Amino acid sequence: MTDQTNTFGNRRVMAPAFGLLIVLLYVFLLAPLVTIVGASFTGGLLMRFPPEGLSLQWYREFFARQDLVDGLLMSLRIGTVTAVVTTAVAIMAGLAGQVISGRWSGWFQIGMTLPLLVPELLTAIGLLFFLYKIELGKSVIGLQIGHILMSFPYAYVSIVAALRQVPVSLEEASASLGASGWQTFRLVILPLVMPGVAMGGIFAFINSFDLYTVSLLLKPLGGNTLPLALFDFLTYEFKPTAAAAATISILLSILGVALVQRLVGLQRAF
Amino acid sequence: MAAVEVRDLRKRYGSFLALDGVSLTAQTGQLVTLLGPSGCGKSTTLRCLAGFLDPDGGSISIDGSDILGVPANRRGFGVVFQNYALFPHMTVAGNIGYGLKLQKRPKTEMAERIADAMRLVRLQGLEDRYPRQISGGQQQRVALARALVLRPRLLLLDEPLANLDARLRDEVRWLIRDVQQESGITAFYVTHDQSEAMAMSDMVAVMKEGRVAQFATPREIYQKPVERYVADFTGEANFLSCTRVAPVAGGYDIEVAGAHLRVAGVPGIRDRAELLLRPEALSIAPDTGQALFQGRVEKLAFLGASQHCEVRLPDGGALKLAVQANRPVGVGDQAGIRIDSEHAWLMPEVRQ
Repeated sequence: MTDQTNTFGNRRVMAPAFGLLIVLLYVFLLAPLVTIVGASFTGGLLMRFPPEGLSLQWYREFFARQDLVDGLLMSLRIGTVTAVVTTAVAIMAGLAGQVISGRWSGWFQIGMTLPLLVPELLTAIGLLFFLYKIELGKSVIGLQIGHILMSFPYAYVSIVAALRQVPVSLEEASASLGASGWQTFRLVILPLVMPGVAMGGIFAFINSFDLYTVSLLLKPLGGNTLPLALFDFLTYEFKPTAAAAATISILLSILGVALVQRLVGLQRAF
Repeated sequence: MAAVEVRDLRKRYGSFLALDGVSLTAQTGQLVTLLGPSGCGKSTTLRCLAGFLDPDGGSISIDGSDILGVPANRRGFGVVFQNYALFPHMTVAGNIGYGLKLQKRPKTEMAERIADAMRLVRLQGLEDRYPRQISGGQQQRVALARALVLRPRLLLLDEPLANLDARLRDEVRWLIRDVQQESGITAFYVTHDQSEAMAMSDMVAVMKEGRVAQFATPREIYQKPVERYVADFTGEANFLSCTRVAPVAGGYDIEVAGAHLRVAGVPGIRDRAELLLRPEALSIAPDTGQALFQGRVEKLAFLGASQHCEVRLPDGGALKLAVQANRPVGVGDQAGIRIDSEHAWLMPEVRQ
């Protein structure tokens, strides 16, 4: 009588199986984070989980290491500039993309997301040659350009998705009420896509904060981003300082997401 | 307040001819409806008027001056959209005051004019709500107020009732007509609903494949259509092919389904013609002696206020007519049909 089968089979079996899958997914996603955060508070001398006693000594140690702190500041600075520049350019590109019609529109989309499609290493090598040609090799500006290029698609995708949600009729209504193109952008379009812009900016920031290959090839003389500094550090010392650095990074990400939630509401961002 | 003249408007999208020479006029204070099925060019015409679209050819002038070179934001026309197009991040008052804010009006004047506009569309008390917090009918009234508050020279309405349910549609329809007449503003109204067009308009342009098939008053469009397409689109209609047509003073002598008649019609018909009989021009004769046609009742539906009846004629033609609710008729009955020849209208026959 109770025939509860569908295309996916028996529902009484499916539901718990699906639940288990979700649990496993979260365990695999969160386990490394829990481990690293736990290890950063250890009172012992080795990176271990569970931690041996609780202490903030490795955070003290982290902030005492000039090379790691410099790396953190460099990553923060580059990430911030990346977020600002990519969102500004992505808004312009998104608006332009709406005007381009027909088969060019598809090519435009692909062009804008190309850095996602080409292997990072190839882009990095290409950029290295290019930057030397224009005499920006081994400079902070060069590294910054690399980060903007690699993070742009993240901002672009998020902002284009937001722009698509704004009906053309709103722009037409605004124009019919006397608004210039700029006024329509500032008073109607921008406020409506702001959640997407904020989200795009945060994606770009996090991506920049995380970039390794590009940073390695383009790193300026005497400067290191946090991932580079951490790798250098881990090559010689396997101390929980690295776990403390990772925890600080995670904290920054959470802070970013909380900020978006606070400013525009996360539901509206997606 | 403005008189509008649209002349020979043309627009092509690739191989699709959206507008193929549209000409229209509107006197000051008139409401002109563009009526037709989707794809007939009615919305394209309105978008050209609004300045959202540049036609390939033709001209649009207001009070004698050409406006085609003027961008949409300098035309000073109010536009009301099918999907309301309210700004979701602004309150009702914010939406209505948007245009005034752009004009940098003083605060007191703005508040006064917003309040006036809200009163006009009967929305008092909803100032601080957001569009998502009010009903569809209320949203469309906000859109109307937002357009009217700037005292536009011309009001353009693009299927403003299409997204509303039947009850609200009536309410908003009368509101639009009242407000338009009260303010004496010239308006263009796009719709595919013939009853809307009939009820609201001073003039109706029935459009077909990028052209104006007929441009006339609602009465003329209904009673004296120039072709079958117009007659079909403006209401229920019966068409009978005529076997003989002879022009006489003030009309035609015709032979149709074995009967002889003298009727009015489209001027200049030579040979092939068909007779338009609206259902209300027909009635069932009490005795067959007064009947012009004889036929057999084929279908009958009780509608409450009347009965819908279909009668098959011996020559194969069929007539739809409305019969009084309490008249005893049954399927299969022989019926004599009387026509009110003043409401018959002769049109040239189109070969299909």
